[in-house]
Amino acid sequence: MAATDRRRFLQQALLGAASCSWLPALVQAAAEQPVKRRCIVLWMSGGPSQMDTFDLKPGHANGGEYKEIETSVPGLKFSEHLPHLAKQADRLAILRGMSTKEGDHIRGSYLMHTGERPGGPLRYPAIGASLSKALGDPQADLPNFVAVNPNAAFSQASISGGFLGPKYAATTVGQRAMAGPASPAAGATGLVDLGVDYLQLPGEVSPERAEARMKLWRGQQESFLALRDAAAPKSHDTIFRRAVRMMNPAAAAAFDLQQEEDAVRESYGAGRFGQGCLIARRLIERGVPFVEVTHGADGLGWDTHQANFAGVKALSAELDQGWSTLMRELDERGLLDSTTILWMGEFGRTPQINANAGRDHFPDAWSCVLAGGGIAGGQAYGSTSEGGQEVVDGKTEVPDLIATLCAAVGVDPATENISPLSRPIKISEGAPIRALLS
Amino acid sequence: MVRLAIALFLFPTAIAVAEEGADRSAPMTARIDQLLLERLKSAGVEPAPAADDGEFLRRAYLDLSGTIPPVAITRDYLADSSPAKRRQLIERLLASPAFASHLASTWREIILKPTDDFQQLQNQFALQAWLREQFSENARYDRIVEQFITASSEQDGPVYFYDALDLKPEQLAAETSRIFLGLHIQCAECHDHPFDDWKQRDFWGYAAFFARVAKRDSAMGRISLVDQEMGEVKIPESEETVAPLYPGGSAPSDRFGGTRRQKLAVWMVARDNPYTARRAVNWAWAHLFGRGLVEPVDDLSPLNAPSHPALMEELTQYFIDSGYDLRQLLRTLAMTDAYARSSQNVDGQRPELFANMAIKSLSPEQLYDAILRLGLIRETVGDLSSQAPQPFDRSQQRLQFVARMRTVSLDRTDFETGAPQALALMNGPPVSLATAPETSGFLKSLEAPFFSDEQRVELIALAAYSRQPTAEERQRFSEYLATASPNEKKQALGDLLWAVAASAEFMLNH
Repeated sequence: MAATDRRRFLQQALLGAASCSWLPALVQAAAEQPVKRRCIVLWMSGGPSQMDTFDLKPGHANGGEYKEIETSVPGLKFSEHLPHLAKQADRLAILRGMSTKEGDHIRGSYLMHTGERPGGPLRYPAIGASLSKALGDPQADLPNFVAVNPNAAFSQASISGGFLGPKYAATTVGQRAMAGPASPAAGATGLVDLGVDYLQLPGEVSPERAEARMKLWRGQQESFLALRDAAAPKSHDTIFRRAVRMMNPAAAAAFDLQQEEDAVRESYGAGRFGQGCLIARRLIERGVPFVEVTHGADGLGWDTHQANFAGVKALSAELDQGWSTLMRELDERGLLDSTTILWMGEFGRTPQINANAGRDHFPDAWSCVLAGGGIAGGQAYGSTSEGGQEVVDGKTEVPDLIATLCAAVGVDPATENISPLSRPIKISEGAPIRALLS
Repeated sequence: MVRLAIALFLFPTAIAVAEEGADRSAPMTARIDQLLLERLKSAGVEPAPAADDGEFLRRAYLDLSGTIPPVAITRDYLADSSPAKRRQLIERLLASPAFASHLASTWREIILKPTDDFQQLQNQFALQAWLREQFSENARYDRIVEQFITASSEQDGPVYFYDALDLKPEQLAAETSRIFLGLHIQCAECHDHPFDDWKQRDFWGYAAFFARVAKRDSAMGRISLVDQEMGEVKIPESEETVAPLYPGGSAPSDRFGGTRRQKLAVWMVARDNPYTARRAVNWAWAHLFGRGLVEPVDDLSPLNAPSHPALMEELTQYFIDSGYDLRQLLRTLAMTDAYARSSQNVDGQRPELFANMAIKSLSPEQLYDAILRLGLIRETVGDLSSQAPQPFDRSQQRLQFVARMRTVSLDRTDFETGAPQALALMNGPPVSLATAPETSGFLKSLEAPFFSDEQRVELIALAAYSRQPTAEERQRFSEYLATASPNEKKQALGDLLWAVAASAEFMLNH
């Protein structure tokens, strides 16, 4: 949607938001702001342990091995393995009262990404699809919704356009196959290389031949379309030409991490998550409105049924480095105020430690984090009982979390999309949580 | 290499097919054309000329057997000068196993929503296998509907439909009415329908027919269903139970015995049911013409008038009189002049006039299979260690392709996809496999030394477009091949194949 369209749209949305007295003002403010709003989801594949990250229970039998550390916000404490994030705690709002109803990876991923439980008659779009539709420019060379390292087996819901259609599905970025020439940098430093899936020509086709192919292709298109002024051939032509623009060097460069200094790449962490956060920064800089970066996508990294403490320690180190560097670099570029970050996974993990020194799936009481633009940082919203078994206050369900994210990026959560059965469906049925919004 | 090249020309030739159906359908076929022409005349629009033989062949293959024709069939068809060749083609396709497979895949997609869940995927395969059997035997359509409504044992494929919907009465109501009646009563689930006649009570009255179906525990994790003596539905947020009620308002008679589902089935397949046969006719029409006589194709609300009311009525009656014979219905439609029209522009054309042929997107399955056929790739399926080979349509690569490409709209006259899918189509499998020298059987055969470049260009056009190359293509493609050194010939042929495989003319049904 072009900026002017979006402004008109948001102004119209005011009329529908009358039930919530402060929301119109918020949406109005966003509509009048010329600033482009953006969103990053950090997805913890497998389900991260709240007990060992943002809601520790030191001294309790459920507490586990880690110590708590002070953060930049007095009284707010994190795990000792998140030291860099602790310094940026003033930008983070910890939701300690998340409570959901799905304890299966695929179902939990669907719920967290759509705000709906799976199984109904409609396939809902991922929040990345709905928000990038609301925030993005359909004519842009770069895609509006990019998913880095998505877990294809367990988290299809995170990249799906749902009833909005494949047009709104994510463009996916994965670890680059070894087909291309190995980068000298990768050899030297062990930095993981990421690239857009299928952006590269098949291995044996040189750029010169690709251009020759496109010339032949354009000839075929022109003679067929000249006689057929119909929707399908016109869409085919438009979409293929757009994909070709994505392949052009200027657009493709957005995804090319080799253009960054090694020192910068290293500051994010050498692995898939760190390098994914760097891609997110490069895309946000270039105006891409929605990026999701998965951490733990090899298998289900955070699914620590066994040896929880060794596992979470390693995952936390990568998380802390990638996420904190991302926020720092966005801030240095003046982009953190317009970029909202949501940290979440399928569910939390059991407070009790099992016989294998692990923690199991636990949707009843766990944590998510909102950070950056539009978010009132430096707080813990909600709390859990002494042993972490239940939410004591600030109980938050997914629709409200998603509605809060929408409000933070200036999109009315009641914005309606039309389902294939011509039924209007809101982005979220929930209500934004005022206390979390700045 | 030479073997492959020869194999290209040795596909089995046409088998003799029974043609008894043709005589019965001829008067209705003529009547359809008459009614369409009357409407065109009153709108002052000239219909498009007839499609070329190649265009017609490709269209009929895609619509009736799900994929594009092999080169040898195309050559024979283009060379055939018999005036009966279109009829013979339609008969042959309708009798082919591919027809049953394609219809099963098409109807499975109508019946079950797409899924990534492993268990649900198994349900889909099981239902599709059952449908294939029905279409292969040309089972009466009313009998198929009846089996959906009354399914009980696991020999009945529709039990998988119940399982996929968790046996919930409101979902079974919403889906069976959409699929078999073309009614969207589910909007009345929560409140009276704002734009239609349906009241909340109508919805729950219909849902009440499914209130007593339950799963029976049976051995080996197999599914079977039983109709219990008890079970009611209630209006949400109230204690009010609703008794079974047919859409339109009448209650089932107590004079007949049977379960609630049996009573619903009797009503649904009654000859005077105003919805069931119309819905099937509208589906068949849209399957061939890209849009229904009523649009959207599955919304036959009384408020949604057909573009050709008399034609809709007559075709519905014809379908009922034929004994709900879907194959006969498709034959009747496919033999019309309207189905044989070119897809080229026509002055004053509006889609609902059917003045030219609509251009349809291929389903993901059709597209995948067409690309494999173009590249002459025989896919090895499943992991090599397993003993039993898996059916082709369960290949992981095909499932992934379908998942990536699947669309949500029912309107097949648009190409509904985005840049990520286009990138995958241009640079990923199966197009990359079909057009690379190492993997493409077609490219290997094209390299045969006894072919001239002119013949190669001809073969590429025949394989991709089912027609001879145009003069322009002959020139452009030959020039391209001529500039390639002998070492680069293979790659240059791959480039040509890629350019046609990625083109709209190949990726669409026109």
